Amino acid sequence: MSQPIIEPIEKYGLSKRSRRRTLFSKIGVVGCGNEGSAIATIALLNGIEVVFLEPTEEKIANAFTRIERKLNKRIQNWGLTENEKKIALSRVQGTTKYKDFTGCDFVIEAVRYDDQTGERHVEERKEVFLQLEKVLSPQAIIASNVSTVVITELASELQYKERCIGLHFLSNVPGSNIIEIVRGLYTSDETYEKICQFARLINHQYVAVAESAGLVSIRLFLIELNEACEMLMEGISNVEDIDKVLTVGFGHRLGVFRTADQMGIEKIVKLMENLYQEYGNQKYKPSPVLLRLSRAKHFGVKKGKGFYEYDESGNILK
Amino acid sequence: MKILVLNCGSSSVKYRLLDLENNKVLGSGGVEKIGMKGSFLKHIRQDHQTVILEGEVLEHQTAIEYILGVLTSAKHGCIKSLEEIDAVGHRVVHGAEKFNSSVLITNEVIKKIEECIDIAPLHNPPNLAGISAISELLPTVPQVAVFDTAFHQTMPEYAFMYPIPYSLYTKYGIRRYGFHGTSHRYVSHRACEFLNMDYNRTKIITVHLGNGASITAIENGKSIDTSMGFTPLEGLMMGTRSGDVDLGIATFLMEKEMIGPSALSTLFNKHSGVLGVSGISSDMRDIETAIANGNERAKLALDMYEYRIKKYIGAYVASLNGVDLIVFTGGVGENQASTRQKIMKGLTYLGVEIDEEANASARGKEALISSAGSKVKVAVIPTDEEFMIASDTMKIIEEMKKK
Repeated sequence: MSQPIIEPIEKYGLSKRSRRRTLFSKIGVVGCGNEGSAIATIALLNGIEVVFLEPTEEKIANAFTRIERKLNKRIQNWGLTENEKKIALSRVQGTTKYKDFTGCDFVIEAVRYDDQTGERHVEERKEVFLQLEKVLSPQAIIASNVSTVVITELASELQYKERCIGLHFLSNVPGSNIIEIVRGLYTSDETYEKICQFARLINHQYVAVAESAGLVSIRLFLIELNEACEMLMEGISNVEDIDKVLTVGFGHRLGVFRTADQMGIEKIVKLMENLYQEYGNQKYKPSPVLLRLSRAKHFGVKKGKGFYEYDESGNILK
Repeated sequence: MKILVLNCGSSSVKYRLLDLENNKVLGSGGVEKIGMKGSFLKHIRQDHQTVILEGEVLEHQTAIEYILGVLTSAKHGCIKSLEEIDAVGHRVVHGAEKFNSSVLITNEVIKKIEECIDIAPLHNPPNLAGISAISELLPTVPQVAVFDTAFHQTMPEYAFMYPIPYSLYTKYGIRRYGFHGTSHRYVSHRACEFLNMDYNRTKIITVHLGNGASITAIENGKSIDTSMGFTPLEGLMMGTRSGDVDLGIATFLMEKEMIGPSALSTLFNKHSGVLGVSGISSDMRDIETAIANGNERAKLALDMYEYRIKKYIGAYVASLNGVDLIVFTGGVGENQASTRQKIMKGLTYLGVEIDEEANASARGKEALISSAGSKVKVAVIPTDEEFMIASDTMKIIEEMKKK
């Protein structure tokens, strides 16, 4: 049989008009650490193209490994096939340059927490927002993965402030398909509506939360954790049993201590200090138990030790 | 009359332009990988030359624009203008209980198809996207919907109901719907034509073995039972789908492996079947090669696959209280002589007698593969859903014109 004729498709369109692109067909992620790669993976699995930015080629390679590990875990749990993984990975691109975000409908900043201090620097994040504004169209949404009061401040220096919005993915709890959507003072209704649409697109439930320290999820979680630490100190119960009451009794997926280990104790301490500062209430002060773990650098899963001990793939040892 | 047949999947659109009066395919092909990297349109011209057009295709509307573009192009096309298209026939996967035959698409019909999204969340939305693209691009051309489920709407209640609380049927429409209806209808009809049998007085079992597989019992022209149910997961063992399993496995696994509904669905739909058992492939050609190389699990997979087909045929002989004609179709059914042979050899109690030579040489073409003395006729009929969709479309358009 004769060879197929291969040509570009463009000239066979019916009209010259620009092709209507579906909203959110391509999104950007700045910072592809734990949280960034979780967000990227969710988007990829829902058929969205993802461009992520990391400062160096080495970090890009690491981010790819993280995404792949997440996809492999899904295959292990029967939730994905090898083929689907291939397709998902064909949609992702890593870059060191902001200009590769051109054409994205939506870019989310998920700059990492500082390894040492557990903080995320506001100045650095402002810079990210400014860089993004330079390459994105005025309609494109610029978001930050937040759980503290920051989105209004990040937006304040932009030209198109109304397109800024905060999102909070509960990326440390596996399978938690919910997003807290945080409107800043400048956020427009249109931006909010579009983000709701995005949430539906990636099969997530969503709730609107006013800009506040800890939002709903983190604030409730931290209080629960502090109280649980209190019980440890009083000798009322132990780590395993408290988690058991929560998982078996209340149907929580992981329990409070395991979740803390997933999140990272150093981040938790910083978050609590932030809440304490914002609300001034004693109940937000990090428990001595947390401070002790933090000082010992027993940050949780990633260090192999926190409230529990873990093997290299993050499974509990005891 | 020139009819364009469209089959819109989640990331593909297949098409065929037919001139029904002259019984000619003017052009056919498909767009693959819509919304992904590496999307392309593969067009087969009337002179059988293949043309591949590469480029970004982000959504169904764009895909259909390109299809119409290539069909009308001077270089590869087959029609001068879009006005030559008299009607468009769409394959629609799920018509639930709302449709028992093909229909002219109106706003009301679209609304009803939308209502079926709840029980066919993966399939009906792309079908609807195709309908809306045509409404926009060819606003004056009539469109017809041909449903995968419609043929099976004749199943009696005792065959389509599940033995679970009745309230779940009234609340969610949980019942057996069956799929591949257009294929079962086409091959059963066509087999009777081919063998000169009276369609309305024949007991037929049609065995569709493709990527998905299903089997249907047809009595006097009506589907009275079919192996797929509420979803296309039930029934025969398939390439990657398990088919019938004990539901207890699902609940057991949910606890043992701590997995939720979506992982469970992927497990039974994509990790199971021939692929899951063999650990090699869902493609029967790969399985045959592996068996030739002495792979035990590949052999087990094939044995299971064939045994389960035989078992279903037995069950449907009982449903029909006899059988006059068995029809094989679908990629595997049309091409895999060894599978047909094994199944037929296990049906000698029915008086099935194989014509070894005819069976061995029947590959992708219409053939009688039972011997002259066989009590039950067995035939291979390549399925042609597009033709069926086009012919339904033509009938409906002609009736519409009469009114």
